[in-house]
Amino acid sequence: MNEVSFHTFRADAALAIANPHLQSAVDGATLKFRDDRLRALADLPDVEAMRDHFKAIRAATLANLSEHLEQFERQALAAGAHVHWARDAAEATQIVIGIARQHGARLAVKAKSMTSEEIHLNAALHDAGITPIETDLGEWIVQLAAETPAHIVVPALHKTRQQVAELFTREVGRPLSADDIPALTEEARRALREKFLAAEIGISGANIGVAETGSIVLVTNEGNGRMVSSVPPVHVAVMGVEKVCPTWDDAAVWLELLARSSTGQPLSVYTTAITGPARDGDADGPRELHIVLYDGGRSSILGTGYEEVLQCIRCGACLNHCPVYQEIAGQTYGHAYSGPIGAVLVPLLHGLEQYEALPHASSLCGACLEVCPARIDLPRMLLDLRAEEVARGVIAPPEQAIEKSAAWLLGHRRLFGLLLDTGRIFQRPLVSKDGLRVPRRLNPAGDRRLPTLAPRSFHALWDELATEEEAALEAIPVKRAARKPSRGRIAALIGASVVPLVVLWHLLRRRGGRR
Amino acid sequence: MSTAREEILAALRGRERGGMPLPAPWRSRQQFDDLAARFTATLTGLHGEVIRAASAEEALDRLGDVLRDLGTARVVVNDEPLLAGVDLAARWPGIAWHVVGRTEGDLRAFCAGADAGVTGADAALAETGSVVVSSGPGRSRMVSLLPPVHIALVAAGCLTSDILTWAAARPGDLPASVTAISGPSKTADIEQTLAIGMHGPKRVIVILYGES
Repeated sequence: MNEVSFHTFRADAALAIANPHLQSAVDGATLKFRDDRLRALADLPDVEAMRDHFKAIRAATLANLSEHLEQFERQALAAGAHVHWARDAAEATQIVIGIARQHGARLAVKAKSMTSEEIHLNAALHDAGITPIETDLGEWIVQLAAETPAHIVVPALHKTRQQVAELFTREVGRPLSADDIPALTEEARRALREKFLAAEIGISGANIGVAETGSIVLVTNEGNGRMVSSVPPVHVAVMGVEKVCPTWDDAAVWLELLARSSTGQPLSVYTTAITGPARDGDADGPRELHIVLYDGGRSSILGTGYEEVLQCIRCGACLNHCPVYQEIAGQTYGHAYSGPIGAVLVPLLHGLEQYEALPHASSLCGACLEVCPARIDLPRMLLDLRAEEVARGVIAPPEQAIEKSAAWLLGHRRLFGLLLDTGRIFQRPLVSKDGLRVPRRLNPAGDRRLPTLAPRSFHALWDELATEEEAALEAIPVKRAARKPSRGRIAALIGASVVPLVVLWHLLRRRGGRR
Repeated sequence: MSTAREEILAALRGRERGGMPLPAPWRSRQQFDDLAARFTATLTGLHGEVIRAASAEEALDRLGDVLRDLGTARVVVNDEPLLAGVDLAARWPGIAWHVVGRTEGDLRAFCAGADAGVTGADAALAETGSVVVSSGPGRSRMVSLLPPVHIALVAAGCLTSDILTWAAARPGDLPASVTAISGPSKTADIEQTLAIGMHGPKRVIVILYGES
């Protein structure tokens, strides 16, 4: 299992920031998704009301989750599916391996599934002597490179066409050119088609489980979800318990928002509802369908202040709109779930101690909340997690000491003013036209700018303003109360004076947190 | 049943908030003047193709045109009512046909080697340019999946506004597999460059016939 300490997080972030290909790939993909999302959502009448409605569906589902899951199970069983329950990753992988062994499977084809990434299913299958083949093109590339996904929707975002050509060349045993992306795709189609036809078992996740009919819904653009659920004789779907949805009316709202929020498509190319295995008389389809309902720590989030995070439908919109994700990309998060949703969900599933840096991977700008189809308040939860880290002593004592001193200092106006005056003198050698030069050690990528201390402090400006107002008031005989400086002006002044301090404070904090 | 099941459900019951009824179903607010026009515009934008035909008989003529233009030699077809009375081999000689559920032989192998697959549709969604196909007797999932071209014969009368209206009017007993297909299979996983035809068909041709 990974560990993302402040130290490893910063080192990985620096690597990502210094990688020009990764930077342009992430910018390109996320900006395109953002534009397409806006266009796709604009096509829905009353889309904001629809999002409110969707949030209400998700909240109501979680409020009675056990009931909906039991209904889902009942209906899935009635349709002829096998339903399994797994408390943790070990149980879930054992169930899948057991089914594979029962059918003598040596080769498993897998559709893209974040849950299977979460439980490290590939490694477990491999250890059990079963070869898992990822069939989503991006996931396959990542698998061939023995890496982890850079994005929950576009996993191989970080790979160049040259790298892909090299990987495929090794795989097919023939030299392939990097110049022709459609030709590379065609090679993958051919190689993976053989696997689909040869595999004894197909494995997928489930985007939605519809309780009313016991159906699972699979959404893909490439068609791998259809392949793994149609061609092999056995289909296993691993679904997080929070993905259940009461009715088809509700699932339709979910589907209206999912692809639009994710890739900006009206629907993904293939939206498949699977209700049990092939029926008697059906032309084809799997003889057996197994659904693994996976908890993996979700039940412990229910009923806490973080319950909302279980409303997530893994669309990736929060990644695409996050300024921090855009700089550091997926791998830096050290888990299959990255971006703002990963920063909240991963520490909750696997422990704050283990993923201490993730709640800090945010500027708290609020974009994730604004774009989330379920309006999950990720910024609030990021702050709550940070507060919990302090309470639980996850934050290192030196950093806590620095923060406490800063708080104390800010409460002592005269001393603080004195320090500012001193700072104004000592900053002189560091002043450049872009602001303060930041020492290399604190500025690994070389693009960090720190504003200079203002020539006059807020307090000094305030005093001046008050004097001016005083003079003006004496000249005009009106009620004094009405002539106080406007709130807007005060806010602007506070902002102008406090921002440099906060930046300085942050830099100190980052040093303090280093271990 | 299993301990895991009981433990998970007990944990959920112990923690869930209860109350909070589901909101009344959201009903579609889309209002398309012309479902066929919207369907055609959307699917065309998604790299699909739409051919209009005035009647079922004309749809078969158009199907013949498409098969001829594609130069198909092997075609797999679902056992659709529209084609039930048609002697395929007589009408289109020179093509090896496999009719699902009627023709002997390995369906999967035939699909994997076919030049085109022909299906009907249970519904079509105007908003998203989707064709809804189902599994069943005489209806293979692979016909619309394995061959490089998928030709769907869609009666304009089965057009509905969107997935919300589809869900509201869905069949009470769902078939084992129902898929909404919105254009050809695609990917942009290598350098965000669009490539059509990843695993599924590279072309989706809808022959939309009759009045909507």
